[in-house]
Amino acid sequence: MAEQALSTPVPATHKPAASRSSGAFVPRLITGLAIILVWEIVVRVSAPAYVAKPSGVLLAIPRVIIEPAFLQALGSTLSAVAEGLAITLVIGTVFGLLMGRSPTFDRVFRVYINGFNAMPMIIVLPLFSLWFGYSGAARIATIIFAAIFAITMNVADGARSVPREYLEVSRSFRSGRLRALTDIILPASMPYLLAGFRLAAGRALIGAVVAEFFLSVGGLGYYILYNSRSYHHNEAFVGVLLLAGFGVGFELLVNWTTRHFMPWYRRDEKAS
Amino acid sequence: MLSNAIRRHAPVWISVFAGIALWEIAGRSTSKAFMVPFSETLVRLWQLVVSGNFLTQLLDSAKLFLAGFILALIVGMPLGMLLARIRTLRIGVEPYIMILYATPMVALIPFILSMMGFGFAPKLLVVFLFAVFPVLYNTVEGARSIKPELIEVAQSFRSSEWALWREVMLPYTLPYTMTGVRQAIGRALVGMIAAEFFLSATGLGQLIMSASQNFDTGGVFASILIIGLLGIGLTRIGLAIEQHFARWRQ
Repeated sequence: MAEQALSTPVPATHKPAASRSSGAFVPRLITGLAIILVWEIVVRVSAPAYVAKPSGVLLAIPRVIIEPAFLQALGSTLSAVAEGLAITLVIGTVFGLLMGRSPTFDRVFRVYINGFNAMPMIIVLPLFSLWFGYSGAARIATIIFAAIFAITMNVADGARSVPREYLEVSRSFRSGRLRALTDIILPASMPYLLAGFRLAAGRALIGAVVAEFFLSVGGLGYYILYNSRSYHHNEAFVGVLLLAGFGVGFELLVNWTTRHFMPWYRRDEKAS
Repeated sequence: MLSNAIRRHAPVWISVFAGIALWEIAGRSTSKAFMVPFSETLVRLWQLVVSGNFLTQLLDSAKLFLAGFILALIVGMPLGMLLARIRTLRIGVEPYIMILYATPMVALIPFILSMMGFGFAPKLLVVFLFAVFPVLYNTVEGARSIKPELIEVAQSFRSSEWALWREVMLPYTLPYTMTGVRQAIGRALVGMIAAEFFLSATGLGQLIMSASQNFDTGGVFASILIIGLLGIGLTRIGLAIEQHFARWRQ
């Protein structure tokens, strides 16, 4: 109940976005350059030669992105995350809709969804390694476990918050239950679904990396681990940059989608 | 009133008992290496508690968690408010905080391992890195919600810098900061376990790791149960803190 109250999307308050961003570029550029400069100087002055520094990472980028081992690792991680997220999205949406629309279903399962969601997801790794072996299957299982509860909770909140008048109108026009589900409940819970997806995607990425560390399954996480162990920090850091890029990319994609297709909702920064 | 409460809570408890029963049945009908019934998990947990092993590990983990989390608060909150006050600085730093907030921090653990080794400091750094960005990100988000007029009015009434912080900045940003604190609790817990898994094995992380390496499935389940309950409890506390301060939001 508590979570429900906190994750209600707030109607958009208009901000003059254009005027803000034009004046923001210069300070942002200066800050970015300052961060890079400080990092470079600190590493050059006080750290051993193998430690990653901006110039080293920059030089490593063209080498790394054509390296077959790196591309293979990237493909492996991305396909695992995509597969895990696809499964998560289907199961999570179905479960979330059921929980949102059926109070009995909600009472039975909410305690588990909340409970599992509050668990630090990486503690299942030793168990999954026992169950699935040190394999890609254990990685997929970790990704799904990491992501599914965020989606389910958000979809359930969304389905519950559908204004009752909409459903009453649809019933007075004698539309079926399925019709009400596909044409009213699902579109109305879309912003919640997207907020859940943003969270889930971030967690899936963490799940994949942690699973690769733990299980020594080939992928971007393992690439980072392997290279940093053999003191190729610059190369390993390219992997980190890519992961950060994905994290930010998911965030921006969901924000953009919400703004573009659902302009009446503000991104819900509280739903987590 | 009482019957109402029973009707509201009964399905939850029935569901919990059904889950435990299901666990028990599943555990009894599969191999011991695969899954251990609830009753045996409790027995194993009791053994761990009696041997004293469990309590030392729990204290070890708690020390790491609290140190990292408090450090994140000490750094994150004042820094976030400072960014709230100095607008140019905030605009400059904002995107980088967002990037770090969205970056999976686990990816940095191998670097921390090879640069700082196995002591307490690298683990503290991991927990700190996991926890600090939610606090910072949400505090800055709160800072954006302060209307410039409020600060202008305060200044035109010649309020001192200290009064401005106390009367305007703090009440406006604190509810957001507390959302960050709730997120940080969850993340710090993940960071704690990750540090204990991938840096030197200590605490609850070591408990579960050694159980899994010895094929002690009962020990794995007992550790997961405890860490899971710990996570649920801490999340509850986080939510309560957040809701307490949420009333301040206009």
